[in-house]
Amino acid sequence: MFSTFLHHQWIGFWRSRNKGGTIAAQVILGFFAIYLIGVCFLVGFVMEDLIDKFLPGRDVFTVFNGIILYYFAIDFIVRLQIQELPTLAITPYLHLNISKRKLLNFLQIRSLLSVINIFPLIIFFPFCIRNIGLEYGIFACVIYLSSIFSLVIFNNYAALYFKRVSAENIKIVIPAILALAIVGGLEYLHIFSIAAFSDELFSFIATHPAAGCVFPALAISIFLINDRYLKNNLYLENLRSAEEKKSSTDYPFLDRFGAAGTLAALEIKLILRNRRPKATVTKALLLLFYGFIFYKGDLIASSQFGKMLFPAVFMTGNTILIYGQFMFGWQAAEFDGILANSVNIKDFFRAKLILLTISASLLTVLTTFYAYLSWKILILHLAAYLYNIGVSSIVVLYFATRNYKYIDISKGAQFNWEGVSASTMLLALPILLSPYLIYFPLSLIGPYWGLLGITFLGIAGLITRKFWISFLANEFQKRKHQIAAGFRERS
Amino acid sequence: MIIEINKLKKTYAGRTVTDIEQLTIGAGETVGVIGNNGAGKTTLFRMLLDLIRPDSGEILSKGKNVADNDQWKQYTASYLDEGFLIDYLTPEEYFIFIGSLHQMKSREVMDYLHRYEEFFNAEILDRGKYIRDFSKGNQNKIGITAALMQQPELLVLDEPFANLDPTTQIRLKANIKSLKSGTLTTLISSHDLNHVTDVCDRIILFEKGRVIKDIYTNENTLEELEAYFSQ
Repeated sequence: MFSTFLHHQWIGFWRSRNKGGTIAAQVILGFFAIYLIGVCFLVGFVMEDLIDKFLPGRDVFTVFNGIILYYFAIDFIVRLQIQELPTLAITPYLHLNISKRKLLNFLQIRSLLSVINIFPLIIFFPFCIRNIGLEYGIFACVIYLSSIFSLVIFNNYAALYFKRVSAENIKIVIPAILALAIVGGLEYLHIFSIAAFSDELFSFIATHPAAGCVFPALAISIFLINDRYLKNNLYLENLRSAEEKKSSTDYPFLDRFGAAGTLAALEIKLILRNRRPKATVTKALLLLFYGFIFYKGDLIASSQFGKMLFPAVFMTGNTILIYGQFMFGWQAAEFDGILANSVNIKDFFRAKLILLTISASLLTVLTTFYAYLSWKILILHLAAYLYNIGVSSIVVLYFATRNYKYIDISKGAQFNWEGVSASTMLLALPILLSPYLIYFPLSLIGPYWGLLGITFLGIAGLITRKFWISFLANEFQKRKHQIAAGFRERS
Repeated sequence: MIIEINKLKKTYAGRTVTDIEQLTIGAGETVGVIGNNGAGKTTLFRMLLDLIRPDSGEILSKGKNVADNDQWKQYTASYLDEGFLIDYLTPEEYFIFIGSLHQMKSREVMDYLHRYEEFFNAEILDRGKYIRDFSKGNQNKIGITAALMQQPELLVLDEPFANLDPTTQIRLKANIKSLKSGTLTTLISSHDLNHVTDVCDRIILFEKGRVIKDIYTNENTLEELEAYFSQ
């Protein structure tokens, strides 16, 4: 049965619309994965020398022990971003003579088939076998291996569990963001160190190997929690029973934009009332912490905006990138209706731009908290913001006219677990990289000139918006039948 | 004459789904489009609404090709399937949205809907539900009402009687009949021969994309059609 499911997924992939784009992305990702595996092998086998070289004089075991939890902490955050929930549209199988257990097992085991699960094994196993075994004995070595393996399993299921739960109920995201922010902040301020904790923990395990059993126990428990959650949610219509009365709403502040405002209001309702887009937009808030990774004191002091441009563009415009790339897909279900009704296509695009502008403005206001690092960040964000609303939004809408894939938003994120994944991230590259084309030549004069260039580009985009709306409407007219046909095909 | 179809062709994977040499529909006619599955009824309606592109030929609405400009949208209202509904809105919000596309204020929309109270049978308005949570029959009611509300000159309904309860079917028939006037042209597809012969002045029978019969309804029409379908 497992192989039948895999086979269905496989032919589903090959027979999908948008095949070209997906395959290209998969090939690039594949090369990237192979490259990373190579790097991991290298790191794994020369770990000892690397530690010696970069941290001379430090005890190799202390450093190694310190790295482990640190790696898995970052691994967890990365997984939240890129690990795809195993997608199998279960609905067609639910009524068949297939036990739930089998469907569950498929979902659970399928999720392990991810390259992210291989990296840590390659990185940590060689050192464990060669050094830990020699120093602390075979038993300790085995415990180390099982601990690392268990951490992989733990992270795998914990990330999936969190993704599933947060897709169901976004309220959980807020405390999670707070918790992450607190741990990150403590680490940043050197009050609490993951590395030191990791070192203490694993040093203890090295000398008292039996204590290492805690990791397999953790892994098994998260697996079971995940399993129970899946089992309880393996229904077509669960969680819909708690009926509260839905009331009609409107957004008077959008009225001033006329017909475009009406359409924008419609899309705001789309976001707020459907699980899928709601979860997507909520993720945008999580991404506001990217800055902590990139904004380093020395970069800010020496005004090296080039190295901070990427997070700035990403944070102030991540809804444009992530929500915007499926721009019409969100409305796939009612797309025929929109086409057949007397909706002016220019108004349609104007509404999209209003929406993207509002979201980017909100995000930019939220990111002002980075000002406590330096006022320079504010200037950087302002430039990135103008670039996003002037240029990125247009580019994203253009690419959206080439996306013919139906997105199921009404069934929610329940059985439709494709979210922000590595392949969709890849499509964002042109937008994230293009500001560098402007910035780098101009930054030879001075870093602020670079920012000014980006700002001007953004403002130019805003001034010429009318032209771009006509351009997008024309592009849309050329392909609207294809888009509508793609949306009609709901597989 | 409001609709003129010339040399219209559409094929899917080598199979012809529409092949119409010439077909005209006059203003004020109520036309029933019938045919078995695969006869190309929905495809024709979709081409009429510029949702899919014909392989060749053209559909003129008031003399203008529907694929070339959007003017037909001003006087055409349609409901083909749930794909026309915005399912995360409440029915009220949906009606107000559709009304706003035709410059109707929300007050006017709500006033207008009063006349449909009987048709709605108290199952549509003030239910505190999104459209997606309604049954298929009630979704149909919402879509059909939204189309009627636009007070179009051309009304296109794809199988409007499907999924409706008997009472509503009868009310809908009465409603469509009452709308008959010199200005409203109606295109209805249906599998129910009784309903179409009852409602429509003219019946066009399709088979594999071709017009097989094009008749004005009289007392013998129903038997004639039943004879065709029981072959």
